[in-house]
Amino acid sequence: MAGLLKKRLRILYSKILASLQTMPHDAPYRKHTEQLVNERFNHERDVEKLEKKINCGQIEEVIFQAECELALSRKMSEWKPWESLVEELPPNQWKWPI
Amino acid sequence: TCQLEVDLGRLGLRDARRRQTASCPTVRPKDAVTHNQLAAFGEYVSEIMPKYVQEVQVTCYNELEVMIHPEGVIPVLTFLRDHTNAQFRNMIDLTAVDVPTRQNRFEIVYSLLSLRYNSRIRVKTYTDELTPVDSAVSVHKAANWYEREVWDMFGVFFANHPDLRRILTDYGFEGHPFRKDFPLSGYVEVRYDDELKRVVAEPVELSQEFRKFDLNTPWEVFPAHREPKEAAPKLEAGEVPEKK
Amino acid sequence: RISSVMASTAASRAAVSAAKVVKPILSRDLDEAKRRVRELYRAWYREIPNTVAMFQLDITTRQGRDKVREMFDKNKHVTDPRVIDMLVIKGKMELQETIHIWKQKTHIMRYFHETQEPRPADFLSKFYRGHDP
Repeated sequence: MAGLLKKRLRILYSKILASLQTMPHDAPYRKHTEQLVNERFNHERDVEKLEKKINCGQIEEVIFQAECELALSRKMSEWKPWESLVEELPPNQWKWPI
Repeated sequence: TCQLEVDLGRLGLRDARRRQTASCPTVRPKDAVTHNQLAAFGEYVSEIMPKYVQEVQVTCYNELEVMIHPEGVIPVLTFLRDHTNAQFRNMIDLTAVDVPTRQNRFEIVYSLLSLRYNSRIRVKTYTDELTPVDSAVSVHKAANWYEREVWDMFGVFFANHPDLRRILTDYGFEGHPFRKDFPLSGYVEVRYDDELKRVVAEPVELSQEFRKFDLNTPWEVFPAHREPKEAAPKLEAGEVPEKK
Repeated sequence: RISSVMASTAASRAAVSAAKVVKPILSRDLDEAKRRVRELYRAWYREIPNTVAMFQLDITTRQGRDKVREMFDKNKHVTDPRVIDMLVIKGKMELQETIHIWKQKTHIMRYFHETQEPRPADFLSKFYRGHDP
């Protein structure tokens, strides 16, 4: 059981890394996410120790987070949020009090 | 007293400091650690999404605010929900603020909560009466009724909302009551008509005797929204104020 | 409000947007907006007999349709496609409320202003009315 979960996690992480490959090298999202995945992507044998090492909930929760990240990374390559700002702020938009 | 508290703290007068803190309990103590954490996360978000994030700030009450371009509603909310370092999976509130003097008079405010990191964030964007904002329902289901409320109260149109219709006002109601230019008395008054055997609506008159209605706008009028307090009359030296 | 504005630098976001292009609500140009208006008018026109029957209104279908016509004519001076779209959206919502009978008789009959007396215009009738709001 535990082996299956770990295998699933490994597959998810390699998918995320593959999806990140489509982004430009200097994209901050790619940089940060690669770092994050590499931190979690280790070959700890014992699930309990792995959970403790990642320190982000039980292994099932970590898998769920990885699934979300994978979906997000695919959408991110569509949105390209690393480009420059779409439109400058209108003058005094956030000025308070007026 | 609070400035004093800081000075005393620096001098190491612990006891005196404690007494001072007790004397002004309504002032929240500065929490530099939380402030820096939030600031760091804000920079993280704006570094990753420079396309949409226009401004990031941490308010004096340690609330992180991210100001985004209206096009970035879906990307930013999705990023905050799905990114492993954010996980803002709960939408706590979605509302609007009307500031008629601005070029884009409506602020749309999204409050999010991350249970994983026990942290909150506020995302703000802007629009005017005729520019649609992308609906956040595809990201947070909770946005459905909130957006209906904003539509009903402010008249902000949400594109791609699955079921945008009135939620608070009566059928046939015209206007958007939370707009600052909506009159306090409304436009119509209703009464039961005995002849027609049903409720009828008529233009508002409020014809009741022995009653005075204050129909001035309840909002503070900007700018110069607070009138200067009348200065106390100056006393000549040695003069004692009259007792009444 | 005491706050520290950290904002990513302005340098990285130069060269954005020369001409301001407004975002359309539904229609891209006036013709499309007009088409939507015609569609809405047609839908209302067809719905009127049904409405009169379902709500047991004391009006004829003719009167109902005249009222619809009047309501549409009230906004015929509007030429901005976005404003037209907004009006069409609100008209559609009203139609939906009518078709599903979320409204009641009183809401439908509100369009006809039956109890409303015309406001006095000249001095004498204002005087007779006694109360000048």
